[in-house]
Amino acid sequence: MKKIVLILSIFILILSTAIIKNSAKKIEDEIFTVKENLRFLNSEFEKIKLEHDYLGSSEKLLEFQSQYFDDELIQKKIENIKVFRIQNKDKKILNLNITKE
Amino acid sequence: MKKYRSKIIIEDYKNNFIYKKNETNLNIQFNRVAFIFFVFFIIYLIYTIHLIHLGSRKSKIDKIENTPVTFDKLYRADIMDINGNYLAKTVKSIDIGIKTSDVIDKKKLLLSLKIIFPNKDFDQIEKKLNQKNYFYLEKKITEENYEKIMKLGDKSIIPEEKVLRIYPQKNLFSHIIGQIDDDNNGISGLEKSFNEILRKTKKPIRLTVDKDVQFLIRKELIKYQEIFKSKGSAAMLMNVNNGNILSLVSLPDFNPNERQNITDINYINRITKGTYELGSVFKTFTFASALNEGLIEPETEFLDLPKSIKCDKHRIGEYDNEIPSNLSAEQILIRSGNIGSVRIGQKIGPDKHKSFLKKIGVLNQINFDIEEVAPQKNYNFGKCKLATASFGHGVATTILQLAKGYAIISNGGFDVKPTLIDKRTQNNKKKNRILNKGVSEQVVRVLRKIVNTEEGTAKFANVLNYEIGGKTGTADQPKDGSYSEAKINTFASIFPTSNPQYVFIVMLDTPQKAKDYYYKYRHQKGGWKGTLYNTAGWTSVEVAGKIIDKIGPILATKYIEIN
Repeated sequence: MKKIVLILSIFILILSTAIIKNSAKKIEDEIFTVKENLRFLNSEFEKIKLEHDYLGSSEKLLEFQSQYFDDELIQKKIENIKVFRIQNKDKKILNLNITKE
Repeated sequence: MKKYRSKIIIEDYKNNFIYKKNETNLNIQFNRVAFIFFVFFIIYLIYTIHLIHLGSRKSKIDKIENTPVTFDKLYRADIMDINGNYLAKTVKSIDIGIKTSDVIDKKKLLLSLKIIFPNKDFDQIEKKLNQKNYFYLEKKITEENYEKIMKLGDKSIIPEEKVLRIYPQKNLFSHIIGQIDDDNNGISGLEKSFNEILRKTKKPIRLTVDKDVQFLIRKELIKYQEIFKSKGSAAMLMNVNNGNILSLVSLPDFNPNERQNITDINYINRITKGTYELGSVFKTFTFASALNEGLIEPETEFLDLPKSIKCDKHRIGEYDNEIPSNLSAEQILIRSGNIGSVRIGQKIGPDKHKSFLKKIGVLNQINFDIEEVAPQKNYNFGKCKLATASFGHGVATTILQLAKGYAIISNGGFDVKPTLIDKRTQNNKKKNRILNKGVSEQVVRVLRKIVNTEEGTAKFANVLNYEIGGKTGTADQPKDGSYSEAKINTFASIFPTSNPQYVFIVMLDTPQKAKDYYYKYRHQKGGWKGTLYNTAGWTSVEVAGKIIDKIGPILATKYIEIN
């Protein structure tokens, strides 16, 4: 009886090892594919980000402002910037104050 | 029958067999089951080891990402600002060449190319097709045109992949990023000092600078450079607690995309490479040094101060002859008294004062992220050198070192290392205390008075809600062993003074008076047309105020923590 149990357990171990190895390989292949796709998407993202950085640069934005928005975009002063704070369900609008004076 | 009778004798068979142990080297002592178990165990072990190996090895992608990019000699890692905007980027581009010997039908090829590139001069191309073996039809082709041209399927069309280094912000970060040469070697700025790292790694380098803040500072600086007709100008914004530089602008600058060979000395980095006698901004250090030694208090009186003194035939006088003869130490700094500062310096003594200036990095060689840093001259502090150094003459230093000094003076007295590289993971806690406890607060309080009181010299920088404190410095430029009329006007400011976060320095090199510029008073109603004096108070302070007006909301909402 002991021998049968021993042989059986060895057989199960070998079988499980084979299954695990096989599935690990499959997962690795999937990871490889995902990473390859990610690499491609990353390079696409970098290209688009570069374009965005160029078009969204301060210089370009000011150019667009003068072309399309004219006087609509105005510089905010610190006294016009408010802080919206939620504390224990209480909503408060406070002045943005960085000084103690 | 009897005849064939024979005897059968049964004898005991003597068996000569003796059991002997097998004397081979292979000594298998266990039974069959154990042996089978052993064999299976070995197989199992082999599989387990293989499985562990499979599990522990790195994926192919990781290997690709981490190995040095040796396949592409022109590759360099990208450089980004603190918000992840590209400041320098390596991109691939394709040039289209034509191998004329492989052209089968010239007319057909020209016709097809005319459709793709309608604006090209095809007479020239036809000439090249007849005369040359190989020529470039289009450099840096767009993706759209690349697809179209490759669809022609003409084997004479040769696409050549090339790597380009582009700087999307153009001039904005030229003095920080620097340039590369055609062999992909950095020749200035971070491109030079981080050359090896940029070539070996794929991971981008993230800087501490903010693109938007840098843009606003540069824009204002250019505007005022034209107003005051200065030869050059510079500005630097740094966090006083961790040394992170948010902006570093030096004018004139250049476009690194053009790869110019710059030889004009006016294009030097005025923050790191240019050394200047910065004048009265040094009086803050004299005041701080005496406080640190416990020799004075802000209220300590200095009586009967003369209007001028002599040192080795050189006359030291006051800039403003209406300055009172009896002043407290605090008033000496507020009213920027030269003789008073000399008296404070004399109280400290040459060795102690020199040692203090070295400790705060003003007269010490600075180790910075970019290599273009001026060597710091070692001065012998005699009687006269001590006197002139007390009010910022006779000793030259860089704006970068000045910023470091002001950062230490305002951050509670802790050492700080100016940096351009974002090291978020590193511990930025204050460590090495340089000034005694309480000194920093005393100095900052006086710096605030320079901006917000009537007798202060920096009233034009009193921007509401930012609590700006600072010291002006108007220095004559040395020329042929003497001093010329040309000025270096500097304003070193810190803000907000109740909890200093930033040091901001503006320097104008050789500014002129602006007759038509209208100054709007910040401390009272009205204004003044035309620059009254060619001093820092009427030039660099005005510029600093206007810049803080612009960058203040960004700093307040993005970088300053509010409670």
